[in-house]
Amino acid sequence: MIKADNISKRFGRFDAVKDVHVHVKKGSIYGLLGSNGAGKTTLLKIISGIIRADHGVPTIEGESIFEVPDVKKRVLFIPDQPYFFHQTSLMQMASFYEAVYDQWNGERFHQLYEHFALNPNASLSRMSKGMQRQAAFILTLSAKPDVLILDEPFDGLDPVVRQQVKNLLIQDVSSRSMTVLVSSHNLREMEDFCDAVGVMHKGGLLYERDLEELKTDISKLQVAFKKIPDESFLAGMDVVHYEKRGRVLTCIVRGTEDEIDRYVRSYEPAIYDVLPLTLEEIFTYEMGSVGYEIRNLIV
Amino acid sequence: MFTIDTRSRVPIYEQLTEKLKELIIREVMKEDEKLPSVRSLAQDLTINPNTIQKAYRELEREGYIYSIPGKGSFVSPVKNEINRERLEMLKKELERIVGEILFLGVPKEEVIRIIDKMTEPERGSDDD
Repeated sequence: MIKADNISKRFGRFDAVKDVHVHVKKGSIYGLLGSNGAGKTTLLKIISGIIRADHGVPTIEGESIFEVPDVKKRVLFIPDQPYFFHQTSLMQMASFYEAVYDQWNGERFHQLYEHFALNPNASLSRMSKGMQRQAAFILTLSAKPDVLILDEPFDGLDPVVRQQVKNLLIQDVSSRSMTVLVSSHNLREMEDFCDAVGVMHKGGLLYERDLEELKTDISKLQVAFKKIPDESFLAGMDVVHYEKRGRVLTCIVRGTEDEIDRYVRSYEPAIYDVLPLTLEEIFTYEMGSVGYEIRNLIV
Repeated sequence: MFTIDTRSRVPIYEQLTEKLKELIIREVMKEDEKLPSVRSLAQDLTINPNTIQKAYRELEREGYIYSIPGKGSFVSPVKNEINRERLEMLKKELERIVGEILFLGVPKEEVIRIIDKMTEPERGSDDD
């Protein structure tokens, strides 16, 4: 569906995006995660055809998007700060959207703004950040895009609205296989929402993976022994991180559950637990392995 | 129908398969009963439809449900050897639990009584 290979973009001397490959399947919700300044927004803007990459051409269903209006009609992008024309109301924006987007559904628009209880005739610039974002969602979802690209979409929304927006997105994903590409820092939220994730760091994509695959790929062990085994115990596994507190050993290990299970049991542990990792933990450890880790700052 | 604990460490996909298995094993969902469609479940629970699809595929692979293209997924008729792997795992789990009970000084007879009580009024999936 969305295919972006070898994408690079420089701003002056700064490599904002370096040789990135992103593939998003149709009907999938893809989460783009990454550290601050990793290049997520730049990449999203390249994929939605707002800026042109120095290298590589992203395609949507095999077609290039940059300056191709027919493709752009089916792809909508909500930036981290929603944009509206100066001093317009929701109603006025709607008539603009209706003129531009073929798949615009006026009935849906009506339902949505009534549901979110926004005044369609009030000036958008006077609304709060959260309400502006709601307005952006109302407009975008009424335009019924095939591909929806969201940059930090849930920022500024209260929990109730957040859940409602998610629910609306999921309805569109399940009923008409809309594809969603979303960037976020809120890993907790992405965890429930996405089915695939890509992690960016310093302009490059560290990896992209199916979320469930990612989770079964790496696990957290808690082991305690009556007699502590020698170094060979840790050396026999692909250990990402370990910590020893008293007699209890906590390790983050890569590999399939069966393999790890068999290996650890062969050492006859007294206590042995496998805990699934949260996305946040995976993120932290993976970033740690490329030198971007949580270090306690003492000032 | 049921809720998903989004704060739990257990992946949603696993929670889903576990919950559905429980409903099937306890016969809350009867043989040949239709499962909710992926679409409606996704909407009700606000969960990614792909995750639900995956959970259904897994349940099908394990033999708990079967699907008819264009019609949906249904609960499979009860089979004795539903899944050897799963059974092995459960046996190990039981060993662990019984081990702990015995360690805490509960006599063996007590454990047997619990099992007797469980198999009495209900017909279990096992014959004995």
